[in-house]
Amino acid sequence: MSEYLLEIQNVSKLFSGLVAIDNLSMKVKKGQIYGIIGPNGAGKTTLFNCITGIYTPEIGQILWKGKDIKGISPYKIAGLGILRTFQTIRLFSEMSVAENIMSGRHIKSKQRWYNGIIPTPAYFKDEKYQWTKVGELMEFFNLSLYATTPAGDLSYGIQRRIEMARALAAEPELLILDEPAAGLNENETIELTEMIRKIQAMGVTIMMIEHDMEMVMSLSEYITVINFGAKISEGVPSFVQADPKVVEAYIGSDEEDEDA
Amino acid sequence: MMNKTGLIALLLLGFAGLYPLFVDSAWLAVGTTFLVFACVAFSQDIILGRAGVFHMGHAMFFGLGAYTTAILNVQFGWAILATWIPSVVIPMACAFALVAPIIHLRGDYLLVATIGFNIIFIQILENDVFGLTGGPNGLFGIDVVHVFGYDFSSQIHMYYMAFILLGITLFIMRSLDRSKFGRAMFYIHKDDIAAQSMGISLRYYKLYAFILGAGIAGAAGSMFSVQYSAVSPEAFNVTQSIMFFTIVLVGGSASLPGVLIGTFVMFVLPEVFREFETARYLVFGVAMILTMILRPRGIWPVKFGNIPSFLKKGAK
Ligand SMILES: Nc1ncnc2c1ncn2[C@@H]1O[C@H](COP(=O)(O)OP(=O)(O)OP(=O)(O)O)[C@@H](O)[C@H]1O
Ligand SMILES: [Mg+2]
Repeated sequence: MSEYLLEIQNVSKLFSGLVAIDNLSMKVKKGQIYGIIGPNGAGKTTLFNCITGIYTPEIGQILWKGKDIKGISPYKIAGLGILRTFQTIRLFSEMSVAENIMSGRHIKSKQRWYNGIIPTPAYFKDEKYQWTKVGELMEFFNLSLYATTPAGDLSYGIQRRIEMARALAAEPELLILDEPAAGLNENETIELTEMIRKIQAMGVTIMMIEHDMEMVMSLSEYITVINFGAKISEGVPSFVQADPKVVEAYIGSDEEDEDA
Repeated sequence: MMNKTGLIALLLLGFAGLYPLFVDSAWLAVGTTFLVFACVAFSQDIILGRAGVFHMGHAMFFGLGAYTTAILNVQFGWAILATWIPSVVIPMACAFALVAPIIHLRGDYLLVATIGFNIIFIQILENDVFGLTGGPNGLFGIDVVHVFGYDFSSQIHMYYMAFILLGITLFIMRSLDRSKFGRAMFYIHKDDIAAQSMGISLRYYKLYAFILGAGIAGAAGSMFSVQYSAVSPEAFNVTQSIMFFTIVLVGGSASLPGVLIGTFVMFVLPEVFREFETARYLVFGVAMILTMILRPRGIWPVKFGNIPSFLKKGAK
């Protein structure tokens, strides 16, 4: 097996004439925190959507543990252990926080098809176990207080935590975070940074898009910089930060909103 | 812990259990049909209210169950009891065969396709295909249930059989809501992209909803055909499908009390206002429009947050 968990090989994604991703390659090692940065509209989210099966790239390969997963449907990708959060939060907003996190336990649940009609002893055991796991996650993410509150009624920062808890509930091998710090205040960002470190310590590999430079530079072990769909730089944070091409891309793009 | 909803449920159960003792035969028949329609409405609610699939052909599955019992009994001489399993399984098989090819369609397209199925179904019944369905007049002379030489032939028997059927339906609804299957349907309904990203197959759970819904509707159809000892196409046309669809939305999608209220409002109230003849349907139309404007989530909307009590302890 390859030493890399995920390999993106010469991937291109087109949207009716627009090249959203342009011949992009990158390699993610197991256990790493991998940062992806770039100006608005660079194609970062599109890349995540290609990895998670929401889009199928026209060209290239996406290798998961050496096997091509390009074009596989999103629910099967999750089944492989690749879970994600969304840049624009996508919670089941009318449902309670606990029920939201429970969705992450779906693929871990051992309930059989007839348990939707009739409960069995195995069902009761499974159901209790899954809810216990949900309880543990709510504790870890400081959400126990909101167990019964509809997710949509909570603040942005809390909603971001719920999304992470939900993804983590599925016990992913690779956790993909799309701008986890967006909309968070300074304190929340510090908490989030701690949280991400703890998740890494559990053995979860993390890929993260982030505009908060301080956070992404301190967390990431390796970073790829994208502009107009193409890679313009890659390396350890200190290298990327000093790369004139990166500085130019950011100045050239009026990227003022990052410290908002 | 006995909360308000639990108390209301218990009172309702008591009332429904004793209802036949206080009413004349016309009202008893209304009661029985209410119970049967409530089963159908719940089965529609699995597909529409839970999985969130705009399905407007549910009367077809109801009719498939009714005609299965009617045909097997009248044309082939099967005992009613023996027709029960086929009257559930045939609608389920049809649901799978018909819906699987169109399940990926987006809401509005799927809605039109399900109406199409219902129309074709009525055409088949009216044209007496294979000489089995009895054409526009349908089939009559359907037998009653015999067990150990005892005939369940009175209207009171019909009522209590429907009562048990509704009990079974409610048991299934409850099991569904508390299993990963019911929850998966809600996740798909609320945000299908997020649901898929959590590993939930849209196709599997939507089909699951359809097949389960068709089975319950089929059982209700079988009961319906025995209650009236006759079946005819117009009881299963698109207008009926629209009624089941409306019951769910007016009462409250995915809400057990909501669907019961919906069935009451859409089916029993018209019986109460019978003397006003067709004018009563005017009241209805207005009631439907007003509910959607004033209570878009239904008269008794669903409440989420159905989680084990040990998780509620830390919650505010
Ligand atoms: N479904 C789509 N159809 C057409 N164009 C799209 C689609 N999704 C994204 N795009 C385009 O692809 C380009 C890349 O978008 P993407 O969302 O990946 O950027 P991003 O790097 O995530 O930006 P941001 O930092 O603002 O989130 C943009 O020009 C966008 O308009
Ligand atoms: Mg983005």
